[in-house]
Amino acid sequence: MSEPAKAPEPTKPAEEAKISPAELKKRAKAEKQARRAAQKGDQGDAEAPPAPFTNGVPEEQQAQKQSGPQDSKPKGGQTKSQQQQKQGKPGAQEGKHERRGSQAQPLAMRPKVVQTAPPKEEARKNSKQVELFSHLYTQPRRHDISGATKDVHPAIVALGFQMSSYEICGSSARCVALLVAFKEVIQAYTTPSATSLARNLTSHYLSPQIDFLKSCRPISESMGNAIRWLKKLIAEIDPSTPEQEAKDYLCDEIDRFIRERITVTDQAIASLASGLIKNGSVILTYAKSSIVEKTILQAYANGTRFRVIVVDSRPLFEGKSLATSLMRSGLEVEYLPFSGITHAVKSATLVLLGAHSMLSNGRLQSRVGTAALAMQAHKADIPVIVCCESVKFSGKVALDSIVLNEVAPPEELLPPRVAPSQPPTTDRKDEGDDEESKVKTLHDWQDIAGLQILNLMYDVTPAEYIRMVICEYGNVPPSSVPVVHRLANESM
Amino acid sequence: MPSATVGQTPSLSTYLKSLKHNDIETSIELFISLLKRRQIKNSRPCAIATISLLLRVVGEARTRDAQQLIERIRAVGRRLVAAQPREMAVGNIVRRVLENVREVAERDQDAADGGSEGSTSIPSTPIRGETMRRPAFPTKFSEFSPLHGAATIPQDMHARAPLATSGDSSPAFGGTMEAALQRPPLVSSNTSYAGQGPAASSLFSILQHPQGRSPYATPPTGTQSPALKASPFKGDEGQTSASEKLDIKAEVITSIQDLQKELEEVDDEISEFAQDHIHNNEVILTHTSSQTVQRFLMKAASKKRKFTVFHAEAYPNDHLETHATIVNGGGATAEDADERWKPLTSMGITVILIPDSAVFALMSRINKVILAPHTVLANGSLIAAAGASTIAQAAKTHRVPVVVLSGVFKLSPVYPFDTDELIEYGDPGKVVPFQDGEFMDKVDVVNPVYDFVDAELIDLYITNLGGHAPSYLYRIVADHYRVEDIDLSGKAEGGAVKAG
Repeated sequence: MSEPAKAPEPTKPAEEAKISPAELKKRAKAEKQARRAAQKGDQGDAEAPPAPFTNGVPEEQQAQKQSGPQDSKPKGGQTKSQQQQKQGKPGAQEGKHERRGSQAQPLAMRPKVVQTAPPKEEARKNSKQVELFSHLYTQPRRHDISGATKDVHPAIVALGFQMSSYEICGSSARCVALLVAFKEVIQAYTTPSATSLARNLTSHYLSPQIDFLKSCRPISESMGNAIRWLKKLIAEIDPSTPEQEAKDYLCDEIDRFIRERITVTDQAIASLASGLIKNGSVILTYAKSSIVEKTILQAYANGTRFRVIVVDSRPLFEGKSLATSLMRSGLEVEYLPFSGITHAVKSATLVLLGAHSMLSNGRLQSRVGTAALAMQAHKADIPVIVCCESVKFSGKVALDSIVLNEVAPPEELLPPRVAPSQPPTTDRKDEGDDEESKVKTLHDWQDIAGLQILNLMYDVTPAEYIRMVICEYGNVPPSSVPVVHRLANESM
Repeated sequence: MPSATVGQTPSLSTYLKSLKHNDIETSIELFISLLKRRQIKNSRPCAIATISLLLRVVGEARTRDAQQLIERIRAVGRRLVAAQPREMAVGNIVRRVLENVREVAERDQDAADGGSEGSTSIPSTPIRGETMRRPAFPTKFSEFSPLHGAATIPQDMHARAPLATSGDSSPAFGGTMEAALQRPPLVSSNTSYAGQGPAASSLFSILQHPQGRSPYATPPTGTQSPALKASPFKGDEGQTSASEKLDIKAEVITSIQDLQKELEEVDDEISEFAQDHIHNNEVILTHTSSQTVQRFLMKAASKKRKFTVFHAEAYPNDHLETHATIVNGGGATAEDADERWKPLTSMGITVILIPDSAVFALMSRINKVILAPHTVLANGSLIAAAGASTIAQAAKTHRVPVVVLSGVFKLSPVYPFDTDELIEYGDPGKVVPFQDGEFMDKVDVVNPVYDFVDAELIDLYITNLGGHAPSYLYRIVADHYRVEDIDLSGKAEGGAVKAG
């Protein structure tokens, strides 16, 4: 059994050598599990051991096979694919390992028919993953609490589901929601005996909560910054402080953080940015950013009369809710689908964008499509201005939208199933299966080999398209992002 | 009235069916209303419907006079173009047909001129001299569009059979030689144009000659030698012109049928170039659903090239068609699916559907962008489905080549003086459903259907004639359309043909 595990070793490229010991360990674990499962299995003694074995090892081979074509198929250039592989590999394996772990246990109890199914499913799932982004397919988004540790606080569970279903969407909103939930979580915490809050809270209590949230949807840069700040704060608490006092202190600090870093900041940015809006301006914005909305509403409240163009895109249609709220406030709003960018840019005088995060090389990470809009505006010589709280500034850098990104479930891109034109085709399908089975809809995409759907969440806008970034420290050029980041997020 | 004749939802196929039994005026009206209601839309259906209609118009025209035929086609064309000016394929086809008529007419005219000149031997008007020079034009068309030349010539030859003499059929001589050989009598006959006329002719011929003109195409250029032709037809000139005019209609019909054939084959012809442009492991981005692009990629796939296709869906106007193309290879409606389309995925090609917004994010990994235009304009810029401009611009930013696949029938002589005018706005209900009353009421929902893409964003055009730089397209326009026809609404007519 150890042979097949070792056999693929030599074929591996040298660069993977560093992870191979860990991999070996994993494999050994998997084998042990398989053996144990075999002993447990009442029926089919002879078949049970090979079944998990096929479950385990070919997966590894598959993983190598998968990386094989990646090697042989350099897409943009060779350096890129190598880089991608380096980054993609550990993440993918982590995901795989987790999945296998959760599979192996129930497998032993299930009838063997089911045992052969998972690898196929796995293969199919992999074939539906866009190779270029394989590093981003860590695990499917969690929509239920199965497999979650019991430590996860109900507030966090609720928050996680709200995030995974986009009910709470947007970098700042998620950050605030996280902190508010953490207040509740911290209040519910009791320090176990023989340890102190400062030592125990973060590692044993908050970490599972954060992991749960991560499994619902990858956390945003603002959440990361807030969590980092909170951890630092907790670590600095004097162990001698009484528990309740410490908890109250933390909650007060969280309130202060929300107020200072987000609420007041938003107002400051809105008043700064609204000064840029003049009578007769035509503001162009993309999707929905709460801070852009605030800016526009404030400018309107100040008595400035202007027009707003909202460009929106599938699948989230966030811009529609922005347009609705602006329309209700009495503004003149024009709403365009993404394809109408060129039309939108023709009449615009100013582009206001929100951010998911500002990267340290001055680039803007925001809802996918922002970069294209910024590009068109830049070409048309329309100033592109980003409104972004410093809590969203990031120490990370990115050159393209491939490495740092999030892949949303592709199903979101399927058109609504009950289209008026579709019923007749499905009816006919029932009548004549042979003839009409050729006519498929996109909903059958899982069954069509070679068809993949890619639903990216973000893209990265080059710094040269951004004229100015407005944050609570004032109006800065994109090149000042790392400075502001150090000032705001690292000095605290 | 027109709609009553059609049982099911009117479309191209029902229109083509109805064309057979409706009378001509009803058909024209029906087509106009279909165009206005956008029940026939996009370049290809419009082109096919136009050509079929014009075939009937010509077929039923009672006139045998080329000029009247031209007038008739222009009149119909004017109405069609006015019905839907942004479907430029309609105008293009009308102009192509007019070009054909003029070509045929000029050839016959020339023959008639030759005869008359020979018979009367008196230079009646300076116009005669000009028409003598003309014959250099018609053949240049047949050179570039081999299909045309090849198919029209036999007919032409046949028609000329009684006229043809030993001098005509000598294919060895090029235009220059012939002009040089045959001009002298002309020089003597009309002195005022002696220096000018032949010189112009031979210059044209010089340009034409080296491009491998079919030897069979030369006779018309050669302009039936007046001296040779004079004798057989001296007596019965009236009879000759009658028989020639009979031929005009037949020839025009043949040329229209050739055009029809060209429309049918255009995708195949374009796809022949696929293997010159797609190599293994390529990552291709395409946009919206286009059978031309689909065929092109299929052809490359069938040559065992493995590549990846990112397909942007062109929401909200064409995304359902795009999905259908990706999944089934064909159109969205069941009717289209009857044709045996095959999706690219069945050829082992990985197709990745992306929303339009992801184009910029992915562009750094794309090797080639392949676009299908709605219309190509004379200066090399194009009108395509909305979103194309963003894609082309993103490609330019990332230095990714943009290849445009377009049949010549999409090539329009229109010059984009006002690009806004060329953009069409579609149903806002596709962006936001009308059920959303408050939103639709208060928010200005705009749904542009087309984008204007500037020539500088495009690297290569592939037409059924081959690959061209955008800067060369004006030349193809010049080859396919007559200056007189560019403005269909104008009343001015080409003076040269008037005499015929």
